[in-house]
Amino acid sequence: MNVSRDPRNQHFPCSITRRECLWDMGAGFAGLALAGLLDHVDHVDHDQFTIQGPNRRANAAELQSTLSPRKPHFHTPVRSVVFLMMNGGPSHVDTFDPKPELIRYAGQPLPSEKKFINSGGRSMGLLTPSVRPFRRYGESGLEISDFYPHLSRHADKLAVIRSCHTDTHAHGSALVQMNTGKPIIGRPSLGSWAVYGLGTENENMPGYVVMLDKRGGPIGGQPNWSSGFMPATFQGTLFRPAGNPILDLSGPASFDRAMQREQLDFLAELNHRHLSSRPGGSELAARAASYELAFRMQAEAPEAVDLSRETMATREAYGVDREPTAEYGRNCLIARRLVERGVRFIQLYSGGGHLEETWDAHESVEKNHGRHAGETDQPIAALLTDLEQRGLLESTLVLWGGEFGRMPFSEGLDKPGRNHNPYGFSMWLAGAGVKGGISYGATDDFGFEAVENRVHVHDLHATILHLMGIDHTRLTYFHQGRDERLTDVYGTVVQDILA
Amino acid sequence: MIDSRVVVSVCIAISSVAAMALSADFDASVGSLLLTRCVSCHHAGDPSGELDLTRHETLLRGGASGQAITPGNADESLLFQHIASGEMPKEEGGHKDPLLKEEIELFRTWIDTGAHWPEGRVLDLFERTTPRRAGRDWWSLKAVHASPIPSLPGAATANPIDAFISLHLRERGLVPAPKADPRTLLRRLSFDLIGLPPSPLELDEFLADASPNAWEHLVDRLLASPHYGERWARHWLDIARFAETNGYERDAEKPGAWKYRDWVVNAFNSDMPFDRFVREQIAGDEVPDRNESTVIATGFLRIGTWDDEPNDPKEYQYERLEDMVHATSTAFLGLSIKCARCHDHKFDPILHSDYYRFASAFWAGPIGPRASQWLGGPTKEELGFDVLGWTDLSAIPSPLHVLAKGDVSRPLGAVQAGAPMCVAYLQKDFDAPPQGFSTSRRRLQLAEWITDPKHPLTSRVIVNRLWQHHFGEGLVRTPDNFGFLGRKPTHPDLLDWLAHRLVSQGWHLKQLHKLMVMSETYQQSSLHPDALACASVDAENNFVWRANRRRLDAESIRDAMLVTSGQLDLHLGGPSFRAPISDEALEGLSMKSGAYQASPLEASRRRSLYMFTKRGLIVPLMTTFDMCDTTTPTGRRDVSTVALQALVLLNNPWVHQQSRSFAMRILAESKDNSSRIDAAWRLALGYMPDDSQHKAAQEHLAVQRSRIMDRSPDTAEAEILSWTSLCQVLFNTNEFLYVD
Repeated sequence: MNVSRDPRNQHFPCSITRRECLWDMGAGFAGLALAGLLDHVDHVDHDQFTIQGPNRRANAAELQSTLSPRKPHFHTPVRSVVFLMMNGGPSHVDTFDPKPELIRYAGQPLPSEKKFINSGGRSMGLLTPSVRPFRRYGESGLEISDFYPHLSRHADKLAVIRSCHTDTHAHGSALVQMNTGKPIIGRPSLGSWAVYGLGTENENMPGYVVMLDKRGGPIGGQPNWSSGFMPATFQGTLFRPAGNPILDLSGPASFDRAMQREQLDFLAELNHRHLSSRPGGSELAARAASYELAFRMQAEAPEAVDLSRETMATREAYGVDREPTAEYGRNCLIARRLVERGVRFIQLYSGGGHLEETWDAHESVEKNHGRHAGETDQPIAALLTDLEQRGLLESTLVLWGGEFGRMPFSEGLDKPGRNHNPYGFSMWLAGAGVKGGISYGATDDFGFEAVENRVHVHDLHATILHLMGIDHTRLTYFHQGRDERLTDVYGTVVQDILA
Repeated sequence: MIDSRVVVSVCIAISSVAAMALSADFDASVGSLLLTRCVSCHHAGDPSGELDLTRHETLLRGGASGQAITPGNADESLLFQHIASGEMPKEEGGHKDPLLKEEIELFRTWIDTGAHWPEGRVLDLFERTTPRRAGRDWWSLKAVHASPIPSLPGAATANPIDAFISLHLRERGLVPAPKADPRTLLRRLSFDLIGLPPSPLELDEFLADASPNAWEHLVDRLLASPHYGERWARHWLDIARFAETNGYERDAEKPGAWKYRDWVVNAFNSDMPFDRFVREQIAGDEVPDRNESTVIATGFLRIGTWDDEPNDPKEYQYERLEDMVHATSTAFLGLSIKCARCHDHKFDPILHSDYYRFASAFWAGPIGPRASQWLGGPTKEELGFDVLGWTDLSAIPSPLHVLAKGDVSRPLGAVQAGAPMCVAYLQKDFDAPPQGFSTSRRRLQLAEWITDPKHPLTSRVIVNRLWQHHFGEGLVRTPDNFGFLGRKPTHPDLLDWLAHRLVSQGWHLKQLHKLMVMSETYQQSSLHPDALACASVDAENNFVWRANRRRLDAESIRDAMLVTSGQLDLHLGGPSFRAPISDEALEGLSMKSGAYQASPLEASRRRSLYMFTKRGLIVPLMTTFDMCDTTTPTGRRDVSTVALQALVLLNNPWVHQQSRSFAMRILAESKDNSSRIDAAWRLALGYMPDDSQHKAAQEHLAVQRSRIMDRSPDTAEAEILSWTSLCQVLFNTNEFLYVD
């Protein structure tokens, strides 16, 4: 299944102009449209790396588009992933990682042997217990704070990893690391790897959709959903929650759909004429075909965000029609509709812009998390319920978390907020392929750092790819002399949370 | 690539059990097997199992499991047991490739007959190429060979390029495509040399010019155009990972980055010798005739990404080193030296220490923690000029240590600053600067090494880049990787001839451009009368039996629309403009207000080269059409075909504006629809439409007009909009988006 640009594999008789093979094989215009759009990425089985014979023939499996669905490395129920991205860094000790010891140590400084970088050189307060009580929920008795009255009903579905850690304390680089594996910009994001590895089930929709918070994008912007050194085909497509969800999906009001249809027909006529004098011009045929795909996307994408056909009960469950849940509720409901439409990877940002507009609770955890959890708790719970009721949770992986966690101490007496903590934090997974009602790993008594069964971002990524049926060590992209991986040379699948 | 297996089996065939012959021929037998199958793990430094198989003494000493061999008795030798059982050699990269039975027997015989090892022979991991990796004898590391120009009776060989190309075509029974038609040729040449389509007037003149020198005059004129520098600067900026902000959280502007861009434009326009071009970018602050311009050139080292808030500023220094090592080695040498940051290169003869030798050139610079107001570079006092540039902070920096697995907390020995040792005949340690110098002069010495006329890579790499942009594919199809994992040259003789010529004629690029585009090979059609037969021999068109059809890149598409609409502002240089970006796209920014202020619309009529590149927000029109990533060097952009490109060209407001401007231009040309259609075709596509195209266009105008009139009775506006529609369709045609 592996897709590779390894030039060693480009001895294929028509690798550069593979489309011409399609053409020559009689697939022609319609065949190309069916096969989808092709570009200069070659599809070669990783296991055939050593086969370089000049007489290697094309087989049907290789003549596929970059975006057409591909078989995973191993069987998996997961077809889609919804990543609920809590931008800014939610406090684990106030949400999913109860630390009763903090009550005992309250008012004391963090023991001096704990070394850390005080991000931004902010004022340092004293150890501060969770601002909200934790309770046990479900048959599993999983502990969740009462920031999450709705989500806690799903406790038995969650696999909470309490021992996550990352490499950097700054939002910009930590967000990029959570999205791309490394704290430096320029690498493909998780969603890009997923679409690169598995293709998309519906070519009338983007395979990788990102929905931002209306308060703004994540710090660092585009590199967070970039395809890095891979072709732009694999980058995340920003999706807006209403009207025309994709940039340039519709033209100016002066050109209606009928006029555009006429433009496309005229264009097809001109292109056909041009093509007929250029036999074998399959890249020309593919481009001509892309206009029909674009035309269909123009119809299908707005329909995906059109919630008018959703029942009142559904809208109510997600909190679409009232504050503070309207925005995230709408996005979660759209996420379900995207899952139904075969979109491979969906990322929904909660929090946008800077500081208190995100989960970056420097001022007050109570105030900040009260606001952001209040906006997202019910929508997330509704999404899990809805996916389950429609049988989609059996094929959808849902994950929740931010770029890092927060410190167990406050920023001062009058500032009951917490600073950034890359040393330990929580994330949870739910849905297809995941054990429910469990916690995995642990931070120390204070929640300062992960100490038991530590899970680095690379391990998390390896696990997510594994759940999608991909061996993270075998999904490679050849770039500048190296077979690059999402997990670089790291990553261990967290087997204990797999169902 | 030399296959050691062949050597070995030949050896077996000749002297099956003759121990004497074997010992005499250690290098061709066991020595070869040790070299190709064993020493990649069992070599000096950090040998696997503490067993170093590169020298006789260490072989005899054995490893962690004890004595490795008992000379005279293979069966009692641990080494032989491990080989015979198939345990060794271990799986590499997921592939088990056990020794052949004959090879195992070779070891047996060798040990049984006393394990002879030639006196003083040390097996060097990289001494030669194996089936798995390159050695120092890799083709691109050998000296450039001044290939003789083939003389072919009856072939078009006036231009040496054609002689080489014909030779290879003939060898494969291929014949070149006929010459392309003049319109296609002019379009091809114009986009290639200046990045802009020819005007209808230029086309008329060219078509009317029957003189035998018409083509040459055209080539000379375009090479002398200031737009030549703009076009080729863009190719270089891809390689230089150029952008005008730092990236990361604040993504702040790098003030004056545009001066580096203008320096590149001027360098191409003035035909600066390429060796000088290299030297100024790496060490413009250290050259004897240092001035503001040469210091601006060192912007090459400044324009990479820079994180003003790294997790650990000390560790971050090493990220910055990697950026500079990678940019420099990829841009000038086509080598991925960065792979050796953590270990010896897996595929190329670059030692772990070579990475640090190379990196030491940048070690004296301001890469460590400093006040963030200097944006990761020197102060203007340190630099001597108030520009974005680079210089050292000390003449003798602290020693740079090799880091085990690239880990800052695991320093190994300090390295001697110097060039990587992969070029066997061009070894160079960097000397300390003479008394009185404020910089380490290591970058200058690195630049001198790179531009040494004998350097095997520098000239080949740049010649190949030129070839690629003229012919669609390089002679080496992996322009940034001339190593083991890159493609080998399709025409090694031609590559070397061009490289040799470049150096011997003073490193001037314009004469090479001219030679390439004057060739008949360049002027071929992309259509071949016998294409199927040729493709069955060479489907990839490796041997250039026809021209490659190429889609315009993002910049050329945008610029061509501006030319066609009559809106292009051609003034050269100066600060970049900020293209208008829709509010929807701006939502991707974390700082909404003030983070991005588009320039006035007037300013955005300039060429795409002058579009401000913000790392956190690349203009969607550009990135959709495969503008490259700005974090690492890109010698070859992807060319994708996706529906989002169609959406942009159909719906983007800027494209609509251009279509409307184009329509207004057409409407002003004539009162008669038929002449207008002629004008539209000539402006957009460079030819006169025939009857069927006229008819289709008239129909389109009529349909659109009636649709518009159904909604609003404004006939004037209906006229404009229907023409806007037609003009936009022309922008969307394959004929517009492809060169031919």
